[in-house]
Amino acid sequence: MTTASFILRNTLRNKRRAMLSALSVAVSLFLFITLQVTLRELTIPPEDIGASLRIAVRNKVSLAQPLPFRQLQKIEKIPGVEAVTPFTYFGGLYRDEAFTPFAQFAVDPIRFTNVFLEAKTSKVQMQAWIKDRGTCLVGVDTMKRYDLKVGEKMLLSGTFYPVDLDMKIVGTYEGTLDDRNVFFHHKYLDELTDDPGTVGTWWLRAGSAEVAPKVVSTLNETFANTSAEVRAESERAFQMGFVSMWGNIKMLIDSICTAIVFTLLLVTVSTMSMAIRERFRELAILKAIGYRRHELLAFILAESLFLSLLGALIGAGGAAWLFSVVDIQKLSGGMFIFFEVTTKMLGTAFLISIVLGVLAGIAPGWSVCRMSVVDGLKTLD
Amino acid sequence: MKPIVEIRNLSKVYNQGEIQVTALDNIHLDIECSDFLTLMGPSGSGKSTLLHIIAGIDHQSSGSCKVQDLDLSALSESALADWRNQNVGFIFQSFNLIPVLTGFENVELPLLLTRLSKKERKRLVDTALELVGLEDRSHHLPKQLSGGQEQRVAIARALVTDPALVVADEPTGNLDAESAQQVLEILQSLSNDAGKTVIMVTHDPKAAAFGKRSIHLEKGRFEKEDVRAS
Repeated sequence: MTTASFILRNTLRNKRRAMLSALSVAVSLFLFITLQVTLRELTIPPEDIGASLRIAVRNKVSLAQPLPFRQLQKIEKIPGVEAVTPFTYFGGLYRDEAFTPFAQFAVDPIRFTNVFLEAKTSKVQMQAWIKDRGTCLVGVDTMKRYDLKVGEKMLLSGTFYPVDLDMKIVGTYEGTLDDRNVFFHHKYLDELTDDPGTVGTWWLRAGSAEVAPKVVSTLNETFANTSAEVRAESERAFQMGFVSMWGNIKMLIDSICTAIVFTLLLVTVSTMSMAIRERFRELAILKAIGYRRHELLAFILAESLFLSLLGALIGAGGAAWLFSVVDIQKLSGGMFIFFEVTTKMLGTAFLISIVLGVLAGIAPGWSVCRMSVVDGLKTLD
Repeated sequence: MKPIVEIRNLSKVYNQGEIQVTALDNIHLDIECSDFLTLMGPSGSGKSTLLHIIAGIDHQSSGSCKVQDLDLSALSESALADWRNQNVGFIFQSFNLIPVLTGFENVELPLLLTRLSKKERKRLVDTALELVGLEDRSHHLPKQLSGGQEQRVAIARALVTDPALVVADEPTGNLDAESAQQVLEILQSLSNDAGKTVIMVTHDPKAAAFGKRSIHLEKGRFEKEDVRAS
């Protein structure tokens, strides 16, 4: 027998209780990981290289306010601007869906390809799209999700705009952070709305990451004190603006996670205390035959840590495995794309389980340390 | 020869709220090596308290208790634990074996605190189990053993570190007559043949008759002492 096997034997002496304890940790950490992944999915900022060069320009009043088309000429002349495209959110519904999980944007096809360099499409399909304003480019994820083929029709019912889109799919793209979107000709939207003079936002690409901040400030200054003042910001800052709208949800998720961890702590402390209280006499015997306080404390902490780490392995490890094999995008109706458990999340979960194991073991361990052998022998007499 | 246990003016007082209960009152006692001393007396007479102080698991309120010429009250908690591990074997009324460990592993438990190799530990455990006649039951769990066998495993655990002192607190209290007889014979043989000093608390005069001398306690004081001819 070794000290480790002695500890293991003690931990698993009541197998049902040990498994239930480990499972309570597992379920809680599974929930914790799921909430953290959800939060990350909702708040993930774009990290690709293109995002560091791209700049979004919107109306300073609000995102819902359009910008005049005439700004294009001034924007193009700003030093450091390599390419610019109108970029207007359509917000249509596809196939009578209550919620359509992909966005549609009206853009200038030629300008668009110069701004979103990472969007990969074939030359033939790109030419076909550029040539015909009644066509669209669809992300590969959406093509796959709806089992669409190039050449098929894409009908979208307007929600923001009082018009419907009737387009032909002429190509697909991939390689962007979100390969679900649909891009179509801005001129098509202009025709339908009979409003060739406005755009939702401008998206542009700066020549380098160094000049990008200067471009942002010049844009803001250029349109200051005009009828349509703008707010220019990097793509990352623009996306984080959306994230800030999730402020309360973030707080809610964080609160739930804290409640989970706290409840877990109470359950584990209670279980460990119960398990140790039942063995006070045995621990007193160990003390009598020469085991020291710190050795008994180490035994108890090891038992507690073993159970909580086993729980973390099942819960956090299980979540990582499950989310890697299950098609969350399909399950969530396209709401979540990656749903990836990061190393940091796993590390946090295991750290929680370690802290939990230590805290849960300290209270009963401390009472064992303070207990005199004589009192311990009397407890179960 | 110097006594293994020297007790002088030893008193133990428990504070129970505002009331003070005197468990031991000015005790003087010498115990020689290889002695088999039995402590008798009614409940609350202080016999278990005296045993606990001699074994280093309780402290006196005043007076001195020297075992092997060592003042136990002067030792730190850790030093006392080490001393107990090397010098004292404990036997209790309710056996107190660890239920998840086999007989062999229960006996091995005190040796895990030593630096002995696995092979050496096995040799010592086998010897101890052989001494109590349980070598064939070594891989049984306590619940698979009879009360008498459990107590013999406990005796083997007490002996495995080859302690000079064996303390037994009513070791036959939970046993039938036959098992009690076996246990008492082993304790007697430890004193007579192995040279161990055995101190046993008992209510039973028949059990006390196995000892070389008996001390009767009453209200924390020595009432009388019987010495048997060897």
